[in-house]
Amino acid sequence: MSTALAELQKTFFASMRDVAAQTEQLMPSLAPGRHATPEIGLAIYQNAYSSRLREALGNDHPLLGKYLGDTLWQQLCAGYIDAHPSKVRSLRDFGASLPGYMTVTEPFSVNPQTAELAQFERRLLDCFDAADAPLATWQSLLATPPELWPTLCPQFHPSVQLHRADWNSVEIWRALKAEQVPPEPNAVSANWLLWRDPELVTRFRCLEPDETQAYAHFCAGGDFAGLCEALQERHQAETVPGVALGLLQRWSVEGWLTAWS
Amino acid sequence: MQTQPRPYLGFGLGLRAQHLGEILAHPPAAVDWFEIISENFMVGGGKPRRNLEFVRERYPVVMHGVSLSIGGSDPLDQDYLQKLKQLAFEVEPAWISDHLCWTGIDGVNSHDLLPLPYSEAAIKHVVARVSQVQEFLGREILLENLSSYVEFSGSDMPEWQFVAEIAQRSGCRLLLDVNNIQVSAHNHGFNPLDYLAGIPIDRVWQIHLAGHSVHGEYVIDTHDHAVPNSVWSLYGAAIRRFGAVSTMIERDDHIPPLPELLAELAQARAVHELAIASP
Repeated sequence: MSTALAELQKTFFASMRDVAAQTEQLMPSLAPGRHATPEIGLAIYQNAYSSRLREALGNDHPLLGKYLGDTLWQQLCAGYIDAHPSKVRSLRDFGASLPGYMTVTEPFSVNPQTAELAQFERRLLDCFDAADAPLATWQSLLATPPELWPTLCPQFHPSVQLHRADWNSVEIWRALKAEQVPPEPNAVSANWLLWRDPELVTRFRCLEPDETQAYAHFCAGGDFAGLCEALQERHQAETVPGVALGLLQRWSVEGWLTAWS
Repeated sequence: MQTQPRPYLGFGLGLRAQHLGEILAHPPAAVDWFEIISENFMVGGGKPRRNLEFVRERYPVVMHGVSLSIGGSDPLDQDYLQKLKQLAFEVEPAWISDHLCWTGIDGVNSHDLLPLPYSEAAIKHVVARVSQVQEFLGREILLENLSSYVEFSGSDMPEWQFVAEIAQRSGCRLLLDVNNIQVSAHNHGFNPLDYLAGIPIDRVWQIHLAGHSVHGEYVIDTHDHAVPNSVWSLYGAAIRRFGAVSTMIERDDHIPPLPELLAELAQARAVHELAIASP
């Protein structure tokens, strides 16, 4: 490719990102405008660049923006757009690094519930359009010979995601969603599981300790026998199979599972 | 790759999330086809893909991309092309389009449609890349003309000549955005009828109609207003020159209620019929 075109595009794009020195370098490459100066024409592109990316972040994080308020939200957008130029083809993915950016950037990093809130909104997005997969029904497990049950390794639907919270970020999200005053930030650990139900509605709920343990066990490739063994830390041995099967039945009804092994 | 005669789909709309509820509940008979933004459906599944399946079962669909960067200097993004090809395999669109522009450099995406200098070097560059894309996809693509706010001192031909040369040399087809012609004609001081006259008739497969905003000395292609009289007038001229071309209303922002767009679509039919009847 012609170096001249590549150089022109580099300079033009740098100018769009508001690099003053690059704008000066670009000007000789622009023809005089009929109605206005090339500077005004360039300003249209500069404005469109930042406003389009801000709009994408706003679409993905409506409640985070509400929680932060306009001043902090604009500060967040400007900082993120500057620090994370888009390397993706779809604006849907532009904000994927926003939660991580907030964990290392003040004042958001000293208010960690904000990054968690951003992470939760991102997980909702990822859940919404995750890949489809046929669900494994409880009936199909019952049709499986019992002698195979110890080796079962349930597989989770692609939409299933764990949100580990160290703060009450989900409670804050819920209050904002209901247009209520959000609670004060509070350090409280919880494991939330998000999934898309068979009607394609995104759902989430807080996991019980057994479920947290079972989810981690199966994600690590563990089998049903291993889970039963692990659950004996909290349950009588004779009740463990019932507890474990109870978890699997609930999960299959809710639409979390795509295969039993 | 075979060259096809121009297909004619009638009158369509861009598929927008704001209208999905109504479309799913009562698929409008007044819409002949829908255009989707390709990137919006390059996702695993869920409602976006389920809704698209519903629409596709009932209407012809065309795919319109915003990220090909056919005029860019980075190598063509093979991962993106693969996703585009896969989506086309699943959707079976009547055709695939994108824009005659570049969108980024050095791996960074502006998410904007940026103009090229109208030069022989740029023509050769774009033609080579169109050929690669068409070869990969196994079909002709359509390229859409931009609206623009700057011109490059390195340009040595009018925009319509640049567009026409690329279409003729690469074999690609054209998606003429009549509003974009009107916007650029104002901003750069050319006669939009000269633009139409410079475009080869057989290359044009689709037309976009939209509105724009006036900001001081500039007209900006916001695609957020109703189609203005100037664009209707130019559309009539386009149909008189090109004949029956599949036409759609493209609204990207300030999306109005569906009946409002259907009314605009009815107006497009009327203008189209009048132009066909009095060439």
